[in-house]
Order: sequence, then structure tokens, then C-alpha cells
Amino acid sequence: MDGSPAGTTQDSALAEKAEEVEDPAAIAARDQAWTEGLMAVRAGMVGNRWVRLLRWLVLGVVIVVLLLMARNIATHSQPLAYFLQTIVYGLGSGSLYALIALGYTMVYGIIELINFAHADVVTFGGFISLSVVTAFGFKEGVVNGPLILLALVPITAGTMLVCGLLNITIERVAYRPLRNAPRVSPLITAAGMSFVLEGLMFLWKGPVNNHYPDLIPTGQLTLIGTTVRIKDAVVVVLALLLVLALDTFVTKSKLGKAMRATAQDRDAASLMGIDINRTIAATFFIGAVLAGFAGTMYGLYFGNIVFDLGFATGLVAFTAAVLGGIGNIRGAALGGLCIGMFEAFWNSYFVSAWTQVMIFVILTLVLLFRPAGLLGMRVPDRT
Amino acid sequence: MSSATVARPRPGPRRGRIRIGRFTLNLRDRDTVIYLALAIGALAFPTVADFVTGGAGGSIVLLAADAGVYVLLALGLNVVVGFAGLLDLGYAAFFAIGAYTYALMASGALFHTPLHHAIHIPFWLLLVVGVMIAATAGALLGAPTLRLRGDYLAIVTLGFGEIVPRVFRNAGDWTGGINGLSALDNPVLPYWVDGPWAGVGEQFGIVKDLIFSVANPTAWYVLMLILVGISVVMLNNLRKSRLGRAWMAIREDETAAQAMGINTVSTKLLAFAMGAATSGFAGCFYGAKLSLVSPENFQFQVSITILVMIVLGGMGSMPGVIVGSLTVYLILFKILPDAPNQVHSLLATTGFTAIDQPTGDWPGLGEFVSRLKFLLFGLILVTTMLLRPGGLIPSRAEIDVERAAKETSALGLEGAQG
Amino acid sequence: MRLTRLKALALPVAAVFATVACGGGGTTGGGSSKGTIVIASDYPASGGEASTGIPEQQAVAFAVSQHQTIKGFTIQYKPFDDAINGVHDPQKGAQNATTMAGDSSIVAMVGPNNSNVAKAMIPILAAVPLAMVSPANTNECLTKSFSYCNPAPSELRKGSTNNYFRIAGTDDQQGPAMAVYAHDTLKFTKAAIFSDNETFGKGVADNFQKKWTSLGGTVVVRNDYDAKNTSDFKTYINSAKSGGAQFVYIGATTGNKPCIFKAQMKGILDVPLTGPDGFALDPQCIKDAGDNATNIYGTTAGSDPVAGNDPNAKSTIDAYKKVYSKPTDIATYTFQSYDCAILLIDAIGRAIDANQNGDITTPVFSYYQSDPTNTATGGWKYLSSQGVTSSS
Repeated sequence: MDGSPAGTTQDSALAEKAEEVEDPAAIAARDQAWTEGLMAVRAGMVGNRWVRLLRWLVLGVVIVVLLLMARNIATHSQPLAYFLQTIVYGLGSGSLYALIALGYTMVYGIIELINFAHADVVTFGGFISLSVVTAFGFKEGVVNGPLILLALVPITAGTMLVCGLLNITIERVAYRPLRNAPRVSPLITAAGMSFVLEGLMFLWKGPVNNHYPDLIPTGQLTLIGTTVRIKDAVVVVLALLLVLALDTFVTKSKLGKAMRATAQDRDAASLMGIDINRTIAATFFIGAVLAGFAGTMYGLYFGNIVFDLGFATGLVAFTAAVLGGIGNIRGAALGGLCIGMFEAFWNSYFVSAWTQVMIFVILTLVLLFRPAGLLGMRVPDRT
Repeated sequence: MSSATVARPRPGPRRGRIRIGRFTLNLRDRDTVIYLALAIGALAFPTVADFVTGGAGGSIVLLAADAGVYVLLALGLNVVVGFAGLLDLGYAAFFAIGAYTYALMASGALFHTPLHHAIHIPFWLLLVVGVMIAATAGALLGAPTLRLRGDYLAIVTLGFGEIVPRVFRNAGDWTGGINGLSALDNPVLPYWVDGPWAGVGEQFGIVKDLIFSVANPTAWYVLMLILVGISVVMLNNLRKSRLGRAWMAIREDETAAQAMGINTVSTKLLAFAMGAATSGFAGCFYGAKLSLVSPENFQFQVSITILVMIVLGGMGSMPGVIVGSLTVYLILFKILPDAPNQVHSLLATTGFTAIDQPTGDWPGLGEFVSRLKFLLFGLILVTTMLLRPGGLIPSRAEIDVERAAKETSALGLEGAQG
Repeated sequence: MRLTRLKALALPVAAVFATVACGGGGTTGGGSSKGTIVIASDYPASGGEASTGIPEQQAVAFAVSQHQTIKGFTIQYKPFDDAINGVHDPQKGAQNATTMAGDSSIVAMVGPNNSNVAKAMIPILAAVPLAMVSPANTNECLTKSFSYCNPAPSELRKGSTNNYFRIAGTDDQQGPAMAVYAHDTLKFTKAAIFSDNETFGKGVADNFQKKWTSLGGTVVVRNDYDAKNTSDFKTYINSAKSGGAQFVYIGATTGNKPCIFKAQMKGILDVPLTGPDGFALDPQCIKDAGDNATNIYGTTAGSDPVAGNDPNAKSTIDAYKKVYSKPTDIATYTFQSYDCAILLIDAIGRAIDANQNGDITTPVFSYYQSDPTNTATGGWKYLSSQGVTSSS
């Protein structure tokens, strides 16, 4: 493509003369630079001088914050124990964020839609398992020890299935008819779907916090003044296992390959004989299965659920997905852990009133300066 | 609004047209008819309210003035979402900025900040200042983020909408923190000629200030009407201008618009700034009327309410947006809050009080009805997008597109888009 | 003092009486009645806060049913709901205020329940003027001029005569009341202090902290959490634990999760939770705390007429219980609400001294401890009531 500005009023003879005078190597170099510049702008690596300046400024601020945190860590009365304990708690909530972020990242990867309703599916899962648990009369002190796991496993599995079916229904009803509509339409539907789910849960459970019984067996391990409870370990290990399983599934299985193909080029995948609708539905199903698990774990880990939990949690989890590189499964897991850790550290060492502001600042900065995220996969289109 | 004066119909060149001076009203034009009906309805509203309630219409008139705030907000968001096709989920942030501008500059608030000097700028001046500050904030947010694609923009604006109230809440030294700022100045019109129409015992011909207060609902109402009128005229002109056409071009196809020589970034930036400016307008009025500005009043709820308003009314269609915002406002602030009491009394008279008693998870029918809001909002958004993407009163462009689509499908040329 | 209050209260009431007498408003009641005057109330009557708001409304209705006429006028009661989405909303409160201002038959109101709602209503109703008496507002800046009060009480009333009265003690006394209790009765020295970062919660926590420090107590950590977005309190608990806190004080309302904080303390930090009337005496708090609901201490503003066995109040309470028999019909500020209504109805009411800004001069606070086994009281045990004379 020619790099010279379009629409010049020079007549063709003059232009030809100019072409002759100019060194072909220079033209090639200029074209090369032009193309590279375009690519860079598209990838968001460089915007203009101001954006570049802003990048340095942001980097400076980040370094200052890290230094301040290092100082706070070092000057604490029990530096090591407090630091390690913060990591343990950060991992706990981070792994839940990771599970939720996976749902966002998978759906975005395949149909480029921010599924606002996803975090509400998580809440819904929490409520379903809570209802079953309450119906069976399980609460603290009634069933103790590892026996309760025998009951929790099928309850969780059932919840995951129900959530999966719910999400498939949502996709079928609200998103599929709009697949070829203007981009803003499915986004609005997604926000609307989120409100529908919240509204249903509001009608069902009302505005109050719902206590979720603390069923995971108690017990803890203390090392260097740091306590790891069975609860913390269970959440982190199970989340990690699920992420690994999902990653293997997507890279190895036939359906996983179909998903990746659909994500890459829907038309080409369709031509290769992949059933697009089925693949997309499968993606929604798997995302929601993880959501159901996350919802149950959320209740068990934090001990309560409220109907509008999805809004706050969803925004943080989406930030995690973007941070890790949207569309990238390992990225979402990493992003979730990072955000959970960030939250824990900020709460522990700084004024917690600003934690949420900082998370949104991270979201904005990542989108502006490194839209491909930490691990990077899908570079979001720029205009 | 300007054409609300009743005029004797003259025999015009074509049927259904009324000429008033330079203006021609085409009564066959749907939008004109809606505007006319709205204008007449708005002007008659205080009198009708007074008549219906037997002289106690003041509170309804004040409620209507509050509704005007939402009409302004919806008109502003319509520029961003409806005209330019950018999904802004944090619109309440600009509303907050406008309101806080008024609160800080028209009250004793700055006395309690490190400045130690209260500023009392008149409302009328602050209307302009608030608009400018909100527009600047819109441009500042827009400048870096508008390079992002639509759905990313949605999430960044959502984040921005969450950040702004939190910053106002946490920066307590300046903004009164969580307490917010209250006891703001009332707008005052310097001189007002009193006449025999003034209250009993007041002298004829005395000149005094007109203070906008609760005791004076009509003053607020008229002020709101004027603000809405100005906004409608201005935004309508913008819509028809070169800029407005550029917005719609971007909405339909950004790449094509760029190829046509439209500077998409600055055009989108202007949409953002114009939208923010309108909400700055609304923010000033809101702060002055409520006399209270607190971070809790600008949550995500507000942003989504406004979005529901424009989606229901019809994105990009100004009369639609006005009708939509009034409808949603009526549901949200009148029908739903009143519903529990209505249900209570209905059940009490019909004898079905049993289903009104809370048991277990069941909160009683009255309470149940009042909880319908979220579900209603969600359903409005989803069903409108699925069944009638143009909203209640689609914009003309939307109608044209639909007609074209029908013709295309009739010709068997489906699949041209997408 | 007392005369000042009565005069100030009587002023708007008398003004409206005159209007009514002149036929300025109100519908005709019974044949013998000179007209109808309406007492309004403004409470959160839907959603989660209805558990407090509805009993408060019932108490006013009960008071009105006891005093159906006054000086030949029929008294009627008109409740307003200031909750939107189940949470009290200042804007809704302001709208209710404008409705009341526009309705000339309404002479006065009882309420509101929440201080930030009061902040929105006072300027509107002061201009009318229309008297308000609140049973439950505890934010000190509504009536007291501290340097941090923005706006100051006089600015809030916009130069009009005071129209606002309350019978609840204020947060600059409620926070310290718990500080004194924790120091003198519970014998603690190290506190971890948190708040939900909202008007009420942060204010009461700040005041607790001030008093606690002046009593010689140590603050091991102070942090304000973002209630809407926080469900993980373990990092906060960890910071309290590592500082060796003997108890935790949280300035918050139940909806902002102080008792979920307590639930998550299980297995990490086994110390008492203390707090203000935002969650004290609230059954929901006990539910939230799950199996860790023991050892929660709380204050409420005012004496407890039910558990305190106030002999003067007994007949009223019994009569009320006859009409409203469910256990949920009595909540935190129910009888305070009744008192406010009585105060308004005959503008004499009970002998409570109040200063010029409408505060009572000798506030009383009640202390409670959680008692999950006692389901009849919603899981709370009454400890004592004490007068608190001055703030720190």
C-alpha cells in the first residue's frame, strides 16, 4: 500500500517526477515504518506522544506504590508471618476470581461478547446449592468431619449442571438471535439478562444477606506463624485442578479444538464442518459449570450470599480476565490470582477504602496500555 | 418546545401544515406531533395536577420537575448510545460531576475544605460552568478510551462510573465524604415583579426576589421545562448537523465512516462531551433542587436506569427517549413505590390478606410487587432488544433500515448484512 | 430549656392549626370534628430495613389510635416509605418531604429512621416549617456544630427556625458509650476498629476511636471497608490478629456485613465484636454470624422499655402487644417511635429536656450482648442502660 497521503492535488506528471527523484530504498523504508506504525497503533503499543508520556507516568506511579508497599511490609511488627498470611488469603479469594474470570474469557474468546450475566449465574449457583443444603438441614454442628464431603460433592455437581443448563438457555434466548445484530445490541441484552437474573434472585431471596453454613471441616496447619485452614487449601486446590482440566480439555479434545477454531474464524470453522451453534452453546455450558462451582465455593468460603453479589464480583473477575489476556484460559486463571492477591495486599497494607478504585484503575490501564494482557492472546480490535 | 404557541391554522401549501412565522409545523410528521403533544401536556400539567388533586398538586409538580432531570440525562445518553452507538455504562459519573460542581460552588461547603472560603456563585452561571466541567470530564475520559472498541468502552465506562462516586466519597476533605454536601443555595431570580396575583396581604407592585424553594413548585417546574426545551432544540439541531450525520455514520459502520473522511476519534469524543454536557446541566439542577449531593445518589443504578429509558423509548429517537424516560420514571418513582400500599389496601378490601403475610421466603404480596424493579428493568432491556430493537418510538433511520431490510428480504437478498 | 423546645415545636404546629381553623386545608372529619390534621411518618418500610421501619410505623399508628382527637380535630396518620430497592434513600426522603410540604393537612412528621435521610429532609421542611421528631437519628451533625460538620446545623436549616427534634442520643455519644463499656466493664486495652465507610458507620467508629484513645486504649488497626464490594474480611481479621486485638469495633449497619465479619473470624480470631445500633438488637445480624454469633456486644440509643422493665412504659407496651402480637412487631426503635408520636400529638408528651437544636440533654444508651440460643428475642440479651453525659 502506498504510504503517501491521499487526495493530493498534484497532477500526475509532477508526481511521477517526484517518484523518480526519490530513492526507492527510502520509499521502502517509509512504507515499512508506516506499516509498522499502523500495526503498533492497532496493537495499542503506541498511541501518540501523550499516550507514551502517560505510560512513563503510570509506570512511575506503579513503582512508587510498590516501594511504599515494600516499606509497609518490611516495617510491620511481624513482617514474615503477616506477609505469608496475606498471600494465603489472597490466593483463596484469587482462585475464586480465577474461576469466574474463566467464564468471561471463554465467552469473549468465542463470540466477543462481555457476558454481563455470567457473575449472576455464579450467584444463582450459590443460591441453588444453598437451597439444597438448607433443604437437607445441613448446618454447622449437625454433620461434622469429612462425611459432609459425601453430601457436598453431589450437591455441587448438581449445581454445576443446573447452572450450565441455565446459561445455555440464556444464550439460546438472549444472545443467539442477535448474533448478526449491531454490536451494541447483544451487550445491552447481556446487561439486561444480568438484571433479569438479579431480579429473580431478589424476588426469591429478598435484599438481605443469606448465611451459608460453614460446612467444610475445620482444621488447620500452622507454619512460621501462618495459618492455612482446610477451607483455604480446598478452595485453592480444587480451583487449580479445574483450571488444569479445562486447559487440557480445550487443547486436547475435539470439542475444545472446535471451540478454538470457532474463536479464530467462525466462517472458516463453519466451512470445515464445525457446528457453530453447538460449539458456542458448549462454551456457555462449560463457563457456567465453572460458575456453579465458583458460586458454591463462594458460599462455603465466605459464608454468605446476597442477590446482587454478581455485580461487584463480576466487575473484578472481568478485570482479572482482561489482566490475564482476554480469550486466554491460563491468562484468566493468572489474572484472577493476581487480582485476589492485589486486593489482599492493598487491604492489608494500605487504606482499604481505595481498593476498588485501584482495581478499576488497573482495568483501565491494562486496556489502554496492554490490551493483550499479561499472557496475551487476542488483541482487541482498535479503531 | 418553541412551537408550542397555539396558532390559528392557515390554509397552507399542503394539508396538515401549520405556519407560524418562519416555522412550519407538519402535522403529518410523527415527531412533530409527538413534540407538540408533549409540549401541550407539559404546559397544561401543573394546572391539571392542581385540578385533579384539588389544589394540592404541588408535590406532583415537584415530582415532575425531578422527572425532568431524568429526561435531560436520557437525552444526553442518547447522544452517546443512540446517535454515536457507543455504549456508556457509567453515565452517572458525569451527572455526579455536574452535581458536585454545583454543590461546591454554591454552598458553604468550600469553607470546610482546605480552601477555607465559601463560594456562592449564582445558579444561572453555574449551569454554564457545570456543563463545561462535565463536558471536559467527558472529553478527558473519552480521549484515551475512545480508541478502544465498543464493548471495551462499555467496561471502561462502567469502571469509571464506579470510580467517580468512590473518589467523591473518599476525598472527604473536599467533598464532605460519605455525608455528601447539603444545604446548597437555592437559585434566585434577582427581581420579580409582584402583582395582585401574589399572596394575600402582599402589596401591589413591590419588587422582590423570586427564590426557588419547595414552596414554589411551579418555579422549579418551569425552569426544568426551559432546560429540557433548550436541550431538545440544541440536540435536535446537532442531530441534523454535519456532526450528527457523522455520529450516525460511525454508529452504522465505523470503518466506512472513516473511509468517507470522518475523523472518528474526534467525532466520538464530541459525542462523549456532548452527552456529558447534558448531564452536567441535569446535575446542576438536581443539586440545586434537592439541596443535597451525596455519592450514594450516583451509583450504577442511575446509569442503568437511564439506559433502560433510552432503550425502551428508542435509541437515537429523541421523542422516543423523552417518552421512554417519562414512562420509566413513572414506573420507578410512582407506580412501584406506591404499589405495596395499593396492594395492601386492595387485599384488605377483597379479604385476601392471607397472601399478604410474610412467611418464610415469601415476603407478602405487597412487598413482592415492590421487588419487581430489577426484573422489570432486565425484561425491558432484553425484550426490547429482541422484539423491537427500535424501541417504543423508533428513530426514522431505524424505520428506514427496517423497511430496507424488509424490501431486501422480499427480493430474496437476505444475508447482505452481518 | 424545656420551654424553648416546646415553644419551637409548638410554633409550626400552631401555625398549621391556624390554617386549618381558617379552612385552609384538610377534609372534614366526623360531624363533631373541626377538621382533620394528619401526622406523617417517614421510615424505610420495604425491603430489608422494613424489619425496623414497619414496627416504627405501627407504633405511630398505635399512638394515633390512642389519641384520635385533639382540641376537636381528628388526627389521622399517613406513613411514607423512604426505601428504594429495600434501602433507605435520601432522594426518596426529600421527595416525601416535598409531598408533605405540599399537603397542607400534614402538620408534623415522625422520623426519619436514617440520618442521611434526615439531612435531605431538614432543609426542605425547615422552610415550610413542618416539625419533625426522630426516634432514631444519631448523626451528631444534624444538631451539633462540630468543626467537621459540613454543613453546620444552622446551614442545614438555612436560617429558618429549628424544626427538627430527636430523642436518640448522638453518635458522638454512642461510639464513646461503647468505648467506656469496653474499657470499664469488659476491661480491654487493645481494639481493632473498622467501619463500613458510610455516614453512620464511619462517624460512630471515628467517635469510638477518639474516646478509646483518650481512655488510654490502644488501636491496633483502623480501616474502612467498601461494604458493597467486600465479602472477604479475612485480611482485616488478620491485621487485627497480628496486632493482638482483644476485641473488634465495627461501625456499620447490618446490611454492610459486620456480622459476616464476625462469622469469618471463626477459627482465626476468637474475640468479641462490638458495635453500634446499626446491628445491635437486629436478628439478621445473628443469622449472618452463623455459628459464630456469640460474643457480640452492641449499644442502642435510648433506654430499652421492654427489656429494661420500665414500669411507666409497661401498660403501653402491653397495650401495643395486644394489637401487634408478633415477635417481629417490636424492633430496635419501635417505642422510641411511639414516644415521638406522643410528643408530637400533645406537644407536651413526656418530660424530656431538649436544647435549642432539638437534642435531648441526657441521652441514655442500652447495652446488649448476642445470645443466639434465645430465639424469642431474635438472639439478643439485654445487659444494661446507662446515661452518658458528655462526649469526648
